[in-house]
Amino acid sequence: MTQQVLNAIFIGSIYALFAVGYTLVFGVLDVLNLAHSAVFMLGAVVTYSLVALHGMPFLPAAVIAILVCGLLGLLIEFVALRPLRRRNAPPISALISTIGLALIFVAIVEQATSGSLFSWLWQDGANSVRFPTGTVPNPTFHVAGLTIEGTKLGILVISVVLMLVLGYVMRFTQVGRALRAVAENRRAATLLGINVDRIFASTLFVSSALGGLAGLLFGLALSDISPYIGRDQVELKGLAVIVLGGMGSIPGAVLGGYLLGLIEVFAFVRFGSNIEAGVAFAALFLVLVLRPQGLFGARLRERL
Amino acid sequence: MDFFIQLFTDPVGFYNQHELLIAQIGINAILAISIFVTFYSGQLTLANAGFMAIGAYTTVIMSLYLPTPLPVDMLVGALLAAAIGFLVGLPVLRLRGVFLAIATIGFVEALRLGVILNLPITGEGQGLKNPSADPLGGIVPILISVPILTYLVWRLTHTRLGQAWAAIREDELAASSNGINVPAYKMVAFVISALVAGYAGALETHINFFVDPTEYSVTRTIQILTFAVVGGTTNVIGPIVGAVFLTALPEIVRQFAAYRDVVNGIILILVIIFRPQGIVGRGGLAIIAPRWWTRWRTRERAAAAH
Amino acid sequence: MSALLQLTNVNRSFGGVHAVDNVSVEIEEGTIFGLIGPNGAGKTTLVNLVTGYIRPQSGSIKLLSPPPPASEKGSNSPPPLAGEGRVGAAVELARRPPHAVAGMGIARTFQTLRLYRNLTALENVLAGMHLRRRDDTLQQLIPIPAFLKEDRRRWQHARELLARVGLDPDKFGNRQAATLSYGDQRRLEVARALALNPHLLILDEPAAGMNPAEKDRVRALIQQLNQDGLTVLLIDHDMRLVMGVCRHIAVLNFGRKIADGPPATVSQDPAVITAYLGSQAQKTAAHVPGSEEMDVAATSTAVSAEPTSPLLEVRDLQVSYGAIQAVRGVSFGVAKGEIVALIGANGAGKSTILNSLSGVLRPHSGVARFGELDLTTAPPDRIVSQGLIQVPEGREILARLTVRENLELGAWGRSNGRSAHRDIEGLMKQFPILGQRRDLPAGQLSGGEQQILAIARGLLAQPKLLLLDEPSLGLAPQMVDTVFDVIKKIHNDGVTILLVEQNALRALEIADRAYVVETGRILLSGTGAALRRNPEVQKAYLGG
Repeated sequence: MTQQVLNAIFIGSIYALFAVGYTLVFGVLDVLNLAHSAVFMLGAVVTYSLVALHGMPFLPAAVIAILVCGLLGLLIEFVALRPLRRRNAPPISALISTIGLALIFVAIVEQATSGSLFSWLWQDGANSVRFPTGTVPNPTFHVAGLTIEGTKLGILVISVVLMLVLGYVMRFTQVGRALRAVAENRRAATLLGINVDRIFASTLFVSSALGGLAGLLFGLALSDISPYIGRDQVELKGLAVIVLGGMGSIPGAVLGGYLLGLIEVFAFVRFGSNIEAGVAFAALFLVLVLRPQGLFGARLRERL
Repeated sequence: MDFFIQLFTDPVGFYNQHELLIAQIGINAILAISIFVTFYSGQLTLANAGFMAIGAYTTVIMSLYLPTPLPVDMLVGALLAAAIGFLVGLPVLRLRGVFLAIATIGFVEALRLGVILNLPITGEGQGLKNPSADPLGGIVPILISVPILTYLVWRLTHTRLGQAWAAIREDELAASSNGINVPAYKMVAFVISALVAGYAGALETHINFFVDPTEYSVTRTIQILTFAVVGGTTNVIGPIVGAVFLTALPEIVRQFAAYRDVVNGIILILVIIFRPQGIVGRGGLAIIAPRWWTRWRTRERAAAAH
Repeated sequence: MSALLQLTNVNRSFGGVHAVDNVSVEIEEGTIFGLIGPNGAGKTTLVNLVTGYIRPQSGSIKLLSPPPPASEKGSNSPPPLAGEGRVGAAVELARRPPHAVAGMGIARTFQTLRLYRNLTALENVLAGMHLRRRDDTLQQLIPIPAFLKEDRRRWQHARELLARVGLDPDKFGNRQAATLSYGDQRRLEVARALALNPHLLILDEPAAGMNPAEKDRVRALIQQLNQDGLTVLLIDHDMRLVMGVCRHIAVLNFGRKIADGPPATVSQDPAVITAYLGSQAQKTAAHVPGSEEMDVAATSTAVSAEPTSPLLEVRDLQVSYGAIQAVRGVSFGVAKGEIVALIGANGAGKSTILNSLSGVLRPHSGVARFGELDLTTAPPDRIVSQGLIQVPEGREILARLTVRENLELGAWGRSNGRSAHRDIEGLMKQFPILGQRRDLPAGQLSGGEQQILAIARGLLAQPKLLLLDEPSLGLAPQMVDTVFDVIKKIHNDGVTILLVEQNALRALEIADRAYVVETGRILLSGTGAALRRNPEVQKAYLGG
């Protein structure tokens, strides 16, 4: 059981890391970025491609992948979000345009085989792959009867540190204050001389870089890598997480991530693997219906 | 190009060769009508795949265990979808915008992963073999249903009910000041949408030998949403044009068939940015409703009123 | 005459602010009842309470013995209103949803136009007829001629309603509502409300943003509707309109009813004059305006010397929101070291002028220069970094950030963090209210404290020119004094100020020069002292 809780914490870290990026964009831009899961997938795929296809050591590969994902965030902002904002389109439009980008990202990887246009990125089509063994050292620790893999521990540490850093930036720096100002009142922020467009672009960059990092950590230690890991593993669960935590709230997303990890593990232990998958959505549905401000949120902002 | 040449020179051969594609276009058109109804009343609900599943599984389970004729099974499937639509709508329709979309996504996945994959009667993850499948015969009710449903929903948008939906979509506050009972009319739209989606699910089992739970995921709903957005939702022709166009496109441009999602994604983004009203905007697509037609209609209506 | 609508001790507060405070009003059947009061007085809240959009916390709102609905002449008389059979009984409206209130025969328009923008004019009216149409949805699915004929009759009726408000159905009927001119949109909204065949028509600022000619047409329309037997509740800022058409007027201020009576009595009421012109009005008011018609636009007083090398120069500025032209060619200047005030009634276009200077709105023509900077094209962040800072209407402080964080963001554009930090400490000493509450979320401050925070935040950006938009809005009188003291003080410290105010006499008291704005134009200009003595100013506010 303790082992299970430990696993819940590892998977919860990934959920949290993924969901923090999701919720950051929702909080600041008031937009649900459904391409976030595709960026998550690309974080894993790009790292894999650099390591396995281009023979790069893991660390630089990971850094490049994270930067690439950040740039993809800028692509999302410039292609799918900014044109709609210029037109004052309803927020639902942005949801649809990011779905469009997600379709494109996933299909490109899914169709890439050796000899195709994107073979430099991916050669396995719809199949799953794993990082070559030994990509990163993975010592195993045995503590009080528990088995802890080094990579999983690494995930936990990296996630926690990054979320603390993000929390510090949001709370105590001028940029963080500006982000919160833009989230609360775009017009007031503009009148303070804050370049709102630049804040939006930076938000997308940071959010997507975090999403990419979550993806590559996920592919490294917890799962196979395929074009579908974003869509199937985290996209909708990520939604469940940010709904649990209250949409737009970063601490909420962190707590929600770990909570979902725990709920899933307990459902698995109690009812078996079949129920586990549905639990997230039942929770999402119930929270939205009963407590739309999230489990921890104080009050829902009025959004018409 | 051959595709079109054959369509015009050898329609019978075309039909025989593309039967499955035609059936699929028909199903997708009905699903497009389903999502159109909620869109028309200004709500983005993504529960359609769930209601399809209810219609499909009910139909197949009934034909497995009950002696009822197939049309009855299908009707029960559609009605059950509508009934569950009502129950789901009670709490969910209080939400708006993104929250409504997410809650309905939650419903679809909770139904699929939580219920369908776990009940013995739905075959759990294995799906169900459909004893009454008839791919060739099944196409007939589809081809009959599409024009009838199109007509009914098109008329509906011109009735008191349809005008109330349009008013709610444009401005809920104003609509209630005009005496329109907003929650009730939203519910009617949601239930009709569920009914039509359930019916589409039931029809689809008819042409498949197998009911596969993976068919009823959010991915399916997103696909349906794409039909509506690309086609446009100011009148019922829009989503149908979107469904026909996007379903047939990979067949027309075979060389891109593998990259159909890339093409779909690009079309989706281009439409939402440059033509938010969809291919068929208000007043209709130039080809379907040319300008002279709109002008003539206006004049006729003015004359009729005098 | 009997009462149609009776409000008794109605209360509604939002988070400690009494938006409507123990208001009792009685509206006679067949009258035109005016509801007036300064911005933020609670007028629209009261309308929302009556029409079911907001629930009162206490009090009752009763609809009394309405007659059977006025039936239309001719063969196309509409089916009776839903919810018939209440004749003779008093119906409690409080806690009914809006659509049910509409069902009792109360129709309304909205302060901010709420048309079905993508529907045609006729479709808008048809949607308005919702309640008086038989529900023949299922019949309409089968278009046999008899049913279609009935549908056609409805279209005919919708055309008549358009004609009744002065919109030619042939010309406008099939045009999308959003493409109509602003005045026509206002009229269409009235037609849509009339489609309900109401007993009581509530018009929430039907003339806002209109030019004098359009206002005259609105006045004629209201009088026509009233002659046809409709009871009208009119909310407007334009005193000339209200005084001209209403038979009875109630005045709200800070949520309370301060006066109630026929127009002649109300316009003489000292409390009303104070509410409209500011607390100094009693001392300076030379005479209380009478009721004679007067074309104020034709008058002008001695124009004070315009600055020769202004810090801010505005020439022939024009700004529109969609179909509404809010600013119609305005020219003025502000020299270094001055306080210049733009005064005028609500909806005159004052805030729009400021917003187009700070870059959040783009003027469609004209010149606006701030030193070397072209304000019509420069991005807002560049305008701020050049030292033109706007303290917006309604404060717009960041409610979820602390007081201190708000101040820190005021210094966003400054590169020297240490000097900014020193300034923040200095301001918190200067305004102890802020210093004491530095770690509280700014949303917990009172309105006046928020205004001081907003001004302090503006100062931290080191303004060369500070734009203050309605700093006294919604503040209690003693708080207004404090805020104006602050303004005087920062001016003495060397900040140039462009002030927009409804509280005209207070603004004129501290202004070096001022411009009176009405319907998007500058009506009068002069020194603050000269305008303060000018009876035209009072007329522009109180009507005449």
